[in-house]
Amino acid sequence: MGIPISLTIIAFSALIHASFQLSVSVLTLLSAHTIGTKRSQAKLLKLTTSFVFGVGVMTLLLLSFIALVFINVFDGKIPQIAWAAVCGLSFGVAIVVWLFYYRRQKGTMLWISRGFADYLNRRTESTRLSAEAFGLGLSSVISEILFIIAPLSISALVLIYLPPLWQLVGIGLYTLISMLSLIIVWISISGGHNLSRIQKWRENNKYFLQFAAGAGLIVLGFFVYVNEIIVSLVGKF
Amino acid sequence: MEQTSYVVKNNGKKHKIEQFDRKILHNSIVKVCLSIYTPEGQAESTANKVCDKVMIWLKNHPEVTGHDIRLIATKQLQKYHPEAAYLYEQHHITI
Repeated sequence: MGIPISLTIIAFSALIHASFQLSVSVLTLLSAHTIGTKRSQAKLLKLTTSFVFGVGVMTLLLLSFIALVFINVFDGKIPQIAWAAVCGLSFGVAIVVWLFYYRRQKGTMLWISRGFADYLNRRTESTRLSAEAFGLGLSSVISEILFIIAPLSISALVLIYLPPLWQLVGIGLYTLISMLSLIIVWISISGGHNLSRIQKWRENNKYFLQFAAGAGLIVLGFFVYVNEIIVSLVGKF
Repeated sequence: MEQTSYVVKNNGKKHKIEQFDRKILHNSIVKVCLSIYTPEGQAESTANKVCDKVMIWLKNHPEVTGHDIRLIATKQLQKYHPEAAYLYEQHHITI
């Protein structure tokens, strides 16, 4: 697999990751609490920046960790069964996303553990310091691990084949693109946009985002399957 | 004499009963109004109007849940500040 194709797969996986919405939900709530308790715009900017930074750090660490695990397990040579497994994971998660990602009720409630959701709600309300907002960013990525594990795993496998410098570029690219939706909302909030409009947009478009994430995972799984398994099988004959 | 209403709060598997506190409702409505950049005076007066209506409703409902209060408060808030009502309703269903 060449560098351009590898980076394209990583970028596409990151786009799928960006369509998952937990971090955006937490950022919306955090901003609502901060503005509602009459804290200054500077404080709002500090907290939201720390939160976004936390999300970025956790995404980067998770991707690096999964890649490191794969390097140690497969010793640099990835067997086809591993590619088949991550493709299967991608198809499975796609179906789960289509069926369950958003709860079928008003709002943007997700099918994550209610314990995690309550914890994030409580933490969001009691966040006062930048360090707490940073921690909240870290936890919000972990809470969504069930859904983001598929794009993360595929990107991690693709990263292994890249030369060291390009691995860093790949990790940076994934982190940046996966945070695009969060960064857009963060800029909107920092620029004084109304939270209710942001939330209304999210609620109105939630099923589209859900469909796009699922479809993206199917396309990604199919592309990787063809590229890594079918092509190499055909090459043998 | 004013009748006291009790709020049944669902805390996991346990139910907790508390006396209704107007101040808590008032503060939450002020907070939601401020979070969409409503001027402070308007936020206070909206919260007072909503709390008054909720108090009237509570006269006939001595025992209610937190969810009931949220529903009634949202309905009343809708009349005075629809955008705040939307965000107030969304608060518990965002994550």
